[in-house]
Amino acid sequence: MATHGAAPILEASGVAVTFGGLKAVDKVSFTLRPGEIVGLIGPNGAGKTTLFNSLVGLQRLTAGEVRLNGEKVSGLKPHRIARKGMTKTFQNAALFPDMSVTENVMTAALLRHDLAGARAKAEQVLERLGLTAIGDADVSDLTFPQKALVEMARALATEPKVLLLDEVMAALTPTEMDDVMAVIRSLRDEGLAFLVVEHHMRAIMALCERLIALNFGQLIAEGSPTDVANHPTVIEAYLGAGAAEAAHA
Amino acid sequence: MRKHLSPGLVLLLLFFVAAAALPFFVDPRGHLLRVAAMALLFAAMAQSWNIVGGLANQVSLGHAAFFGLGAYTSTLLFLRFGISPWIGMFAGAALAAFAAALLSFPTFRLKGHYFALATLAFAEVLRVIANSWASVTGGPVGLSIPFLGTKPELFAFRAVSSYYWIILALLVIVCLAFRLLARGAIGYRLRAVRENENAAEVAGVDTFRVKLTASIISAAFTALCGTVFAQFTFFFDPDSIFALSGISVRMAMIAIVGGLGTLGGPIIGALFLIPLEEVANAYLSSAAAGLSQFVFGAILVAAILIQPRGLMAYWPKSKAGRLARKDAKPVTPATPATEGGR
Amino acid sequence: MVQALVDGVLLGGVYGVIATGLSLVFGVLGVVNFAHAEFLMLGMYVAWFAWRYLGLDPLLGSVLSFIIVFGVGYVVQRTLIERVLKAPPAAQVFLTVGLLIAIENAALMVFGSEFRSVSVPYQVEGYRLAGIFISAPYLYAFAAAVILSAALWFFLDRSWTGRAIRAVAQDPMASALVGVDTKRTYGLAFGLGVALTAFGGAVILPYITVSPTIGGQFVVLMFTVVVLGGLGSVAGALVGGIVVGVVQSMSALVFPIQLQNLCLFVIFIAVLALRPQGLIKGA
Repeated sequence: MATHGAAPILEASGVAVTFGGLKAVDKVSFTLRPGEIVGLIGPNGAGKTTLFNSLVGLQRLTAGEVRLNGEKVSGLKPHRIARKGMTKTFQNAALFPDMSVTENVMTAALLRHDLAGARAKAEQVLERLGLTAIGDADVSDLTFPQKALVEMARALATEPKVLLLDEVMAALTPTEMDDVMAVIRSLRDEGLAFLVVEHHMRAIMALCERLIALNFGQLIAEGSPTDVANHPTVIEAYLGAGAAEAAHA
Repeated sequence: MRKHLSPGLVLLLLFFVAAAALPFFVDPRGHLLRVAAMALLFAAMAQSWNIVGGLANQVSLGHAAFFGLGAYTSTLLFLRFGISPWIGMFAGAALAAFAAALLSFPTFRLKGHYFALATLAFAEVLRVIANSWASVTGGPVGLSIPFLGTKPELFAFRAVSSYYWIILALLVIVCLAFRLLARGAIGYRLRAVRENENAAEVAGVDTFRVKLTASIISAAFTALCGTVFAQFTFFFDPDSIFALSGISVRMAMIAIVGGLGTLGGPIIGALFLIPLEEVANAYLSSAAAGLSQFVFGAILVAAILIQPRGLMAYWPKSKAGRLARKDAKPVTPATPATEGGR
Repeated sequence: MVQALVDGVLLGGVYGVIATGLSLVFGVLGVVNFAHAEFLMLGMYVAWFAWRYLGLDPLLGSVLSFIIVFGVGYVVQRTLIERVLKAPPAAQVFLTVGLLIAIENAALMVFGSEFRSVSVPYQVEGYRLAGIFISAPYLYAFAAAVILSAALWFFLDRSWTGRAIRAVAQDPMASALVGVDTKRTYGLAFGLGVALTAFGGAVILPYITVSPTIGGQFVVLMFTVVVLGGLGSVAGALVGGIVVGVVQSMSALVFPIQLQNLCLFVIFIAVLALRPQGLIKGA
């Protein structure tokens, strides 16, 4: 369970990203403690992926600051931030297509190991996620859910303290989803902190102790899953977006 | 895991042994050996290019810059200061490595076309400088290395076979370097950079450093080839040594025709293309000026259209072969509904 | 000084048209055509033959250049370029580089290596205006370039085909859905792109001699113009052309002739490194 007394591992304060005049992320502040699973929800285009990118260094901040373990990491390149212990998965599984599954994971494990150590680490991570059987497969032969899991394995191989998961469960069957959630929980018990974007509300509600809701780049609600899910602004954001989507379809 | 030698590697070693024995079976001063030496030299150049172009997929159209730096550095050091080209070649390699590092800063974020354009312009800059700064470079007339008889310490030999073995040794070294890089930690990182730079960064790969390292190594080896070329041919000028199609494109083309990013590709490409060009030059040049170069261009176009993964794709056990067969199959998305359904 | 400025603008206007073709091809097809300058060379040869055998002034022959090279371009696109449109950049780069080498040497075989020039009555004439000499061939070429640019703008803005080209450039999938034949449009855009460049080549024939290797002298110039204006931007290419023309004739005042291109290269690499999207943003 989350160690509520512990110092935060991740602190985002006033994080803002603007594209031209558009405020994709607008002064978002939140914290994440070790061993905590926090869900990040919001309608499409709310700025969730942009926020992830700005946290891991893929997107330059317009304003604000990100601290990891008390140390300022905003402004660093992604590989430096990964080295310091934070990484993310990509929404549409950005794997290295000409490499095998093991090689994909090994590349990330090389961050903290030599070649032999990286191979051992990769095999260990793959086993933990139940992917040992497909270790030698080319990633281009994988199904979408498998790709998402390999994506997660690659992120874990960097041995992060904070892991940002961008829809890794999007295409999983309910049983597969339960397996992945069990893995996430056991990693959480080892002190890993998660920030999770997921459209399956079932997974979000089952997994997270706390939710953060974004809309139009702004943080509109924060609190326990039931509180946030019943928050009037959140409902409005979703219904508004839902109505708009229905009109487009 | 893969401790035993693969069939491909055995073939490569056999090739090196056979190549080393070749001078004993042909006229050691003859034309055939010169062509063979040239083919091996171009294989070494293409392999050097392959480190950047194949492993990192940074398509350079300016490697003639490093080739020319190597040739000019060692030759000028020899002509002006009497320094042996054996030492000069490492000075050239160092200078080329330095130039590659300098060039990396403005170009490291560039990809694809943009990178190709920037490297092309860099080689052109050097060509213009070499042509105009006549007091140092000798200008458009080029440089000649006086032949003083066989002097091994000065990299001068009467027999073609001596150059041939030096070139072969260079090729073996470049191939070894390529394999060590490809199989080492940096090889994984380079391939990651090639396939998805953002994902590589997030997975902890210092993409700039990885590319920088590859460019420096690639440039240094290319410069070594430049020195060897200068010693072998005794003469070069700015337009031929910094040539776009003659050097930069040819290096890349050999690697591509053979198999981009593969160990055997540049060797197969060079063994196929250089003799072919030689034959074309011998039989077609008399027919019409430009015909052999036209054929060269046409082969490049055909190679890209017929088999972008190169001749290595026809070697069924290779990775290129497997990928090529996969290319040929129609792509069936694994779970098409899920992505759009969200 | 002012003289150099005027010369630069007049030259640059033509560079603009030449580079517009390259930019159009990139903007619509997403392919950087390394062989583009070879079509300039073809355009010059068409105009030269039209002058030699039909007695046509290159300014009129340029129309013939435009039409013939358009046809060549259309065929090249449909048979070769079309097949690498979705391929990785490396394949596109080397296909067009291969084309460059093939076309240049085909020209060498067919036309021979000698330099060919035309003689027209106004070749050495000019106008004096407040102490500035305005060379007639420069002026006429510039005027032709302006007319063609205006026609191009009109075509892209008003005609159905022009709109289809712009639509495909923006979103090929959506254009296909609303009934645009994208393959044909790509062919037309490529043909138009190389034809513009060929036209530019034809109108400079009165003051530049043609040989099979003339393309090589224009490659970097063309790419500098396009990169300055932003790859894919047609308006940017026109402005970039004038900038490059002025830089070139100004630098001729300071540097020896061989180093003129060096200035361009330096600008080129600097712009690529600092602002790959181009200095001049426009339509």
